[in-house]
Amino acid sequence: MKESLRQSMAWLHTWTGLLLGWLLFAMFATGTAAYFQDEITRWMQPEVAGRPDPVVATEGAVRFLQTTAPDAKRWFITPPNSRSATTQVFWQPEGDRPRGSRRDTSATLDGQGHRIEARETRGGTFLYRFHFDLHYLPVIWARYMVGIAAMFMLIAILSGVITHKKIFADFFMLRFGKGQRSWLDAHNVTAVLALPFHLMITFTGLVTLATLYMPWGIAANYASPDSFFEAVFARSDEVERSGKAAPLAPVGAMMRTASAEWHGAGVGFLSVSNPGDATATVSLTRAPEDAIGSRGPALTLDGTTGRRLDASVSKGAALETESVMIGLHAGRFAEWGLRWLYFLSGVGGTIMVGSGLVLWTVKRRTRLPDPERPHFGFRLVERLNVAAIAGLGAGLASYFLANRLLPLRMEARADWEVHSLFIAWVAVLIWALVRPAQRAWIEALALAALLFAAVPFVNALTTPRNLFASLVAGDWLFVAFDAVMLLLAAGFGWAARKAARPRSARVKRRASQAQETVVAA
Amino acid sequence: MATKASRPRGVSRWNVAARALAAIPANYVLTSLGIACLARLLPMRPEEASVAATLASFALFAVLALAAFAVRSVARLWLAMIGAGILLGGGLWISIATGGRL
Repeated sequence: MKESLRQSMAWLHTWTGLLLGWLLFAMFATGTAAYFQDEITRWMQPEVAGRPDPVVATEGAVRFLQTTAPDAKRWFITPPNSRSATTQVFWQPEGDRPRGSRRDTSATLDGQGHRIEARETRGGTFLYRFHFDLHYLPVIWARYMVGIAAMFMLIAILSGVITHKKIFADFFMLRFGKGQRSWLDAHNVTAVLALPFHLMITFTGLVTLATLYMPWGIAANYASPDSFFEAVFARSDEVERSGKAAPLAPVGAMMRTASAEWHGAGVGFLSVSNPGDATATVSLTRAPEDAIGSRGPALTLDGTTGRRLDASVSKGAALETESVMIGLHAGRFAEWGLRWLYFLSGVGGTIMVGSGLVLWTVKRRTRLPDPERPHFGFRLVERLNVAAIAGLGAGLASYFLANRLLPLRMEARADWEVHSLFIAWVAVLIWALVRPAQRAWIEALALAALLFAAVPFVNALTTPRNLFASLVAGDWLFVAFDAVMLLLAAGFGWAARKAARPRSARVKRRASQAQETVVAA
Repeated sequence: MATKASRPRGVSRWNVAARALAAIPANYVLTSLGIACLARLLPMRPEEASVAATLASFALFAVLALAAFAVRSVARLWLAMIGAGILLGGGLWISIATGGRL
């Protein structure tokens, strides 16, 4: 009975892991990169430098909005923080005018409130969005697909744990150069070492979009989801403009009021309703870097007097739990040490998914009726593995290269950076489909290694912020970015070398050596 | 074929299909009914109960999916799921019909 349970769980682990494994690999890889999304954005806009003061920057942003969109319905301001150097502003125009291009209703500002004329890029934000919104397809479909993949992941993790007999004995077991056994070890080590992280990240990932995937807990108590959200967020009703002009009170003072209320924590987000009108209100939300919970407290002030109107009600245990789960997933609270741990755990998860995918083929290759001519399913998995693992690597490197190489004033530049990622990815997929599998692995991995290695060099040729200059200036963000690119290049290069010397060749060599010894004796 | 080798002994394609249907669509319906009942039963403010039930839903779904592949008899699995579904669905219907929603 016990043995059959393990068998059925092993079967379930294999198939839930494989079916959406390629999507999971992409989600894990880009989600891991997203732990450094602000830093990636800063690298992708090398023109932007400095460390603006959030209060001064917000006051500048208000001046910008007062001239650009004085009669907007609402302004939204995200001040700079310890990681990002720019202020993001969005505004909702009065009336239901059709939405024009992104530039008509949003801007990236510097510390004084001037529009930044840096290269157009979606930066790290794209990688963050891609890991749950994907690209080129409607967001809602993408989110359902991603949710199904995450649930498969959760089931694969649980069934994997049940399957795994010696979960603690295998903790430090990593045997190199032993073919299938090594792949299994790599899969187990990356899975077991960071098991709490994998479970946490998968479960909390589902929680971030819980009301989309499981709306029935809310539907049981509320006839309309809106009444639920009103109960939770106590959203104030929209107030019509009175038509009586009144200047906005200084926001700097409002931010200081809010910070004092939150024991010194900064303001992460502001929204201003009916700016310039007597009915103006300002809502301030606590910065996400100052606590784990993703839904920090908010404070609403009267826009003309700065008087306190309303504070968010304290949450109950379940809502607080949800807020902390989402916060744990996004990791916005994490300081440097913890942020790198998040990143490394994410890399571990990515390797776990990737090695699991490879293991599927390695395990089956020996049992094929004719290893020279594998059946269609086997060939498909093999090719998709090349495209998913090496192809995404090549794609990410191309995204960074395109950021440096595309003309600065190019039309739709940010879009073409994103297209570059997918062009490289699809190119590797086509390459993997037409080449013999083993050659495809070597060539695609080597290509990814070359592209990653090229990033620091292209950066040095196209910007003044090369590795040497960054080291001298103590610009650790740029140093770390270049270093990670070189490490990724080394990793892919090592993998390409490994793929070039398959186990069969080594075993044969070892066998012939053994034979020679026998003969010599 | 590779599939056959890794599949537990004596498990047919139909058996796998019946379990997959139980583990995915039927599981989703059953989990939804279960957490809807939970959201109405938990002794908390309604928004709290709804969120608590929603958080529990993913764990419940995952465990039911594992169970769908772990239990021996597919017939008993479906019987249990249908039975639980009728009970939960009936309970939910009575609860909403008599108590209403917000």
